[in-house]
Amino acid sequence: MTRFVTHPIARFLARRLVYSAVVLIGVLVVVFALVHLVPGDPVRIALGTRYSPQAYDALRSASGLDKPIVEQFFSYIGSALTGDLGVSFRNGDPVTEILLERLPATISLAVAGIVIALLIALPAGIWSALREGRISDAIIRIASQFGVSVPDFWMGILLIALFATTLGWLPTSGYQPLLDNPGGWLRHIVLPALTVGLVAGAIMTRYVRSAVLEVASMGYVRTARSKGLPPRVVTFRHTVRNALIPVLTITGIQLATILGGVIVVEVVFAWPGLGRLVYNAVAARDYPVIQGAVLLIAALFLLINLIVDVLYAVVDPRIRLS
Amino acid sequence: MDLTRRFKHRGQRVEAFGVMAMRRLARLVAVVVALSGLTACSTGERVDLGDDSSGNLIAAIAGEPDQLDPHKTSAYFSFEVLENVFDTLVEPDANLEMKPALAESWDVSGDQLTWTFHLRRGVTFHDGSPFTADDVVYSYRRIIDEQLTNVDKFSAVTDVSAPNADTVVIRLKQPTPNLLTNIGGFKGMAIVSRRNVESGEITTHPIGTGPFSFSGQKSGDSITLKANPSYWGTPPKISGVTFRFISEPTTALSALQAGEVDWTDSIPPQRVAQLRDDDSINLAVTPSNDYWYLALNEARKPWSDVRVRQAIAYGIDRDAIVAATSYGTAAANQLAIPEGNPWYTAYDRYGYDIEKAKGLLRDAGVTDTDLDMLVTSEYPETVTAAQVIADNLAPLGITVNIRTVDFATWLDEQNTGNFDMLMMGWLGNIDPDDFYYAQHHTDGTSNAQKFSDPEVDRLLDGGRVETNHQARAGLYSRAATIIADKVSYIYLYNPSVIQAWSTGLSGFESRRDGAIRFRTTTLDRGETS
Repeated sequence: MTRFVTHPIARFLARRLVYSAVVLIGVLVVVFALVHLVPGDPVRIALGTRYSPQAYDALRSASGLDKPIVEQFFSYIGSALTGDLGVSFRNGDPVTEILLERLPATISLAVAGIVIALLIALPAGIWSALREGRISDAIIRIASQFGVSVPDFWMGILLIALFATTLGWLPTSGYQPLLDNPGGWLRHIVLPALTVGLVAGAIMTRYVRSAVLEVASMGYVRTARSKGLPPRVVTFRHTVRNALIPVLTITGIQLATILGGVIVVEVVFAWPGLGRLVYNAVAARDYPVIQGAVLLIAALFLLINLIVDVLYAVVDPRIRLS
Repeated sequence: MDLTRRFKHRGQRVEAFGVMAMRRLARLVAVVVALSGLTACSTGERVDLGDDSSGNLIAAIAGEPDQLDPHKTSAYFSFEVLENVFDTLVEPDANLEMKPALAESWDVSGDQLTWTFHLRRGVTFHDGSPFTADDVVYSYRRIIDEQLTNVDKFSAVTDVSAPNADTVVIRLKQPTPNLLTNIGGFKGMAIVSRRNVESGEITTHPIGTGPFSFSGQKSGDSITLKANPSYWGTPPKISGVTFRFISEPTTALSALQAGEVDWTDSIPPQRVAQLRDDDSINLAVTPSNDYWYLALNEARKPWSDVRVRQAIAYGIDRDAIVAATSYGTAAANQLAIPEGNPWYTAYDRYGYDIEKAKGLLRDAGVTDTDLDMLVTSEYPETVTAAQVIADNLAPLGITVNIRTVDFATWLDEQNTGNFDMLMMGWLGNIDPDDFYYAQHHTDGTSNAQKFSDPEVDRLLDGGRVETNHQARAGLYSRAATIIADKVSYIYLYNPSVIQAWSTGLSGFESRRDGAIRFRTTTLDRGETS
């Protein structure tokens, strides 16, 4: 047992766990403060514009919003620490349930999107770096500039117009769970994942290119080349492998960003992800849902961060998890 | 029905990105072709929800209901669904006249203070339990005792009782000519099941007596209803309805054109002109009783001066606002109630007249002034109209500062009176009391502009109790004229209800109150797989 705890990886994980818990509690406090400071009243928005003062008071006390803010804060934090994130103001559903229901669609889109992005960014970025200054480099750089600049809703609408309306190959919108209907899941995810993946891929191509270029100018690459190693070996064993660290970082950031919700893509493709949930919750000032969702997104960020850190050590054995 | 999120059309304009973007896109075609090769080709694929819903009518609505308790929600998206699940004692027909529903008939006492409703027999809730007079009493008492959103509809009610299982008696403190509209105008006054309420399930699994029963919801995606074979009216001919939430109108329209959905009201208004000529879908543009208006804050100077308010009424170009906000699908109107409505009053005092506006401002001694205009991104038409209005008022020396906020903030600002002028809509109106009392009576709950006129108060109080239809119409006509003359509101236009459906769908009637009823709809998908 003691040996397990003293194992460097276990110590690393334990420390990260404690650190994550502290960050999450900090996030909770900040989000709670923020949502209550922002103007807008959840009771008023629930009632619309046509209501009596009595109805306002009744709903306010039923939601517990008439209690002092400090009391609301401690009762929220207290139950959050036991895993109870409260219930939605809008429909009384437990927040945990709402979040879990949205998670599969969000993870599907994020993973599929990042896979497409990597499929684009790795070959394009490496090729572009190796051909620096030539025509193919220029084309890739211009194309990735376009990918970064094209608004994703426009890309989404174009993809729908082409593949759903005109060609009729793919559905315009909607989501199907992977486990219920794998074929339907695949058909529905192609267009939103392409939209997400093209934008993320364009951003990542530029990172891959500059990372490879930087490593290629290192002394050891010159050494490898001068001792007569074939260009292929130099490229993949010495250059690309060492360029993977910054690529991992940007991949982690992109993945976490997509997991946090790609609202525009979700709206265009009617995708039931976290982004729309948060958007609607903010519009309705549904405090428990906003708080829960931000907490979940923060936790996903921390998790991905952790995975990226572990992968650093895998990619580069010189990096120690300590 | 309350102010809601019906008018969801973001005026997103697609920029031409030129050849390079197209070339880039073309390069991707190869990737997608490869991917789609993995899957079967699917034309017009429909959402398979894993139950018997594959034959359902699929309707795309522009957003997700916040909750499904008809007494508590105020969102139009909720009512689009609930219209098909719940019943009221009486309900509006296509001309918005109140007709029997759960009540087969009713008698009114000579003094107009006691209404006796005779209920339909043999009606059951979706869970099989019988519908009785106790359910009516329970539903109404719930709204009154818990002070729910629509408690105002019962402001004249002193007692609701059930002398026997088939009879409900409503007692009033004053004659109420619009009682039927109050209790049946929309599904916010639905008869609910006590067991459903007490179990707390009504917000997510509502049980009603309507033509369709609630079957399931997928958060962020869809709600499915199935036909109720024991519905008291003619049971629906379709197996059920699946409401999908597609807020992007371009996507909803594409889904309709691709055959994935059968019906939608999520339609970009700029596409209406083109869709009128499209034989592959049915399009309905139905003038509605809704209206959009401007209100000036009369608690602030110089807007407290009626001449200044009139100057603005003359200074805005209504036709330009209609064109910019609705692409010509709305009808300009200087009063609330549209032509063709039994309560319509003709009125055309305020033509677009800059000289007259300048003269009024001169008389009032107002020269260069700023105007803080409060609009919300929730209703993009308010933002668009504000830009036109800013342009219109500039020659009068009025600098319009457009303040665009989200709806929650907008409601706060309106409530605290922190605005010079605002623009908003009022939806789902049937009786003139709905149109005027809350907004223009001194004690009105939605009188944010602080309008107060003893004559208008007297007329609106009188309209609430006048049982002679002719006399009542006269009262409201006078009230409406004063409201416009003294500029409590500057009415702008009546929008249209815009809906489209596939050629295989028949028996659907587009209604001016925006209620979506699929009970008489039939569906023939032809060769669609």
